[in-house]
Amino acid sequence: MLIGIKNAAKLIGISIIACCAVLVCTMFLNFYFDVQSIESEITSELSLIYYNAQVSTAKVVCLVSGGCLLITSAVMLMFYIKHYIDTHKKELGILKALGYSNLKIAKSFWVFGISAFIGTVIGFGGAFLLMPWLYALQNKDKILPEIAINFHPIIFLYFVILPTVGFSLLAISYAWCKLKRPVLSLLKEDFKSLAKVKKHKKDKHSEYSFVDDLKRNTLKSKKVLVFFIIFASFSFSAMTQMSFSMKDLSSEMMGAMILIIGLVLAFTTMFLAITTVINGNTRTIAMMQVFGYSQKDCCKAILSGYRPMSYIGFAIGTVYQYVLLRIMVDIVFKDFEGMPIYEFDFPVMIISLVAFILIYEILMYVYSERIKKISIKEIMIE
Amino acid sequence: MIKVKDIIKSYGNGESRFQVLQGISLEIQDGDFVVILGASGSGKSTFLNVISGLERPDSGKVFYDTTEITALSDKELTVFRKENVGFIFQQYYLLPDMSVDKNVKMGADLAGNKDYKNVIEAVGLGEKLHKYPSELSGGEQQRVSVARALAKKPKVLFLDEPTGALDEQTGRQVLDYICKLKKQYGFTIVMVTHNLNIAEMAKTVVKMNSGKISEIYQNEVQKSAYEIGW
Repeated sequence: MLIGIKNAAKLIGISIIACCAVLVCTMFLNFYFDVQSIESEITSELSLIYYNAQVSTAKVVCLVSGGCLLITSAVMLMFYIKHYIDTHKKELGILKALGYSNLKIAKSFWVFGISAFIGTVIGFGGAFLLMPWLYALQNKDKILPEIAINFHPIIFLYFVILPTVGFSLLAISYAWCKLKRPVLSLLKEDFKSLAKVKKHKKDKHSEYSFVDDLKRNTLKSKKVLVFFIIFASFSFSAMTQMSFSMKDLSSEMMGAMILIIGLVLAFTTMFLAITTVINGNTRTIAMMQVFGYSQKDCCKAILSGYRPMSYIGFAIGTVYQYVLLRIMVDIVFKDFEGMPIYEFDFPVMIISLVAFILIYEILMYVYSERIKKISIKEIMIE
Repeated sequence: MIKVKDIIKSYGNGESRFQVLQGISLEIQDGDFVVILGASGSGKSTFLNVISGLERPDSGKVFYDTTEITALSDKELTVFRKENVGFIFQQYYLLPDMSVDKNVKMGADLAGNKDYKNVIEAVGLGEKLHKYPSELSGGEQQRVSVARALAKKPKVLFLDEPTGALDEQTGRQVLDYICKLKKQYGFTIVMVTHNLNIAEMAKTVVKMNSGKISEIYQNEVQKSAYEIGW
């Protein structure tokens, strides 16, 4: 095996996101199937309205959460594979030089699908543990007849087998595409390995200082990391605000679950993004230190460019949670009497923003300490 | 003047501990061109790292005039490097996503040098200002790293095998540029190399063997980059 299980273990971020996605989707899809089985027992109009609202809720939650998290997991997987190929290009180049075909090497990337398997299995199991609570919550006023929890093998197929196979195939095909470059471009350590030579543009920003130029460059060079930072801030913002705003619409337990999922997603993605930024710029940071740039300058050049992106993510998350709850209240539950009025919760937004800024800045401080510890000597003897 | 007193530096722990520098003392005069000559493993690069403030010795002292850099904190040492020294390495260490102009600006900004483009002209890369490292030859990349180091107007320029990755022609060219710029700016040069011929360009030659200085001598005639053998 060219790529070991150990490498797949590094994709813990994918496992966590897959776990969250499958946990939420399994609970609501299972509920969707089970609630449909009682349709024939519904007699009153109120029960029918409530039934329809429950079915719609399950569908919306499944599609929105599942879809969003599935896309993020897939982007994360592709990002990790590209990162793996970039950091192991010499070894992969040697294999190609020895005569291994692209497909033969790419096939060994199937192990990355294991990360999806681990996450989905944990999420699936966790969903069945939480299901009794969800079923009770969704029917707490006993408007509907008793809903029994059933095991639907199709859900296991949809949320465990298919994602595992899909992610393995995605890993193989993406790696195969990425390996389609000349052997020498993989083997050569110098910068000629950059596949495309950048277009010469007249230097429009020459008035900026080096640190500002580097900041812009760091941001532009890895756009997928910008996506992860925005996603992390989005998760934090949307989930924290939603969990507090929906206290009147749902239960505290539901709010707590959403909050935990939001925080897990936010920290996992943020950790992955910032760690990759620092690892990818270790040499640049070391050279800056050699030349006499302060730790503050290094952090400004490498990390501070992501700050505005994180605020954009927070703003998108705020709008998203408001629109989603509005849809739930105004469309899904529009015929249901006694539904509380939902308005944008400004104080919750302010509290979330303050908490977000605090946590973000603490994280940046922790990472700036990591930058301080980058050894110049290690870079020199590489 | 750089004054080095009884430098000892070891790597590893326990039984695998190895003393790379075994009590080295040396004086380097301002404006001197010093070549530290030695075989692989003689400790010459470690010595360069210690006297330039990149590494701390286990014991011993390094003075730049009256400043003892071995007693400075990490923060003070960074400021010291910013204000006093420039580096050129065998592997260039250019920033791949930044143009020649911006790579040189990295050094220039530290000294508030607005005329850094003159240095790029001086190393013969005036036409390649907006090229990226991937578009340059090895010799040109090394010239960018020379310009980057000199754009910060260092008092001392440290070079670690600057021609190690270059062919003869480009190696001579790079050394020639460095010598011309030394005459123009008057900085001190401390160069590490294993190439005996390059030592003929220096004023002072320090030979190192097994972590100790085995010989120090002055060249009566300093040859140019095109006069030495290769």
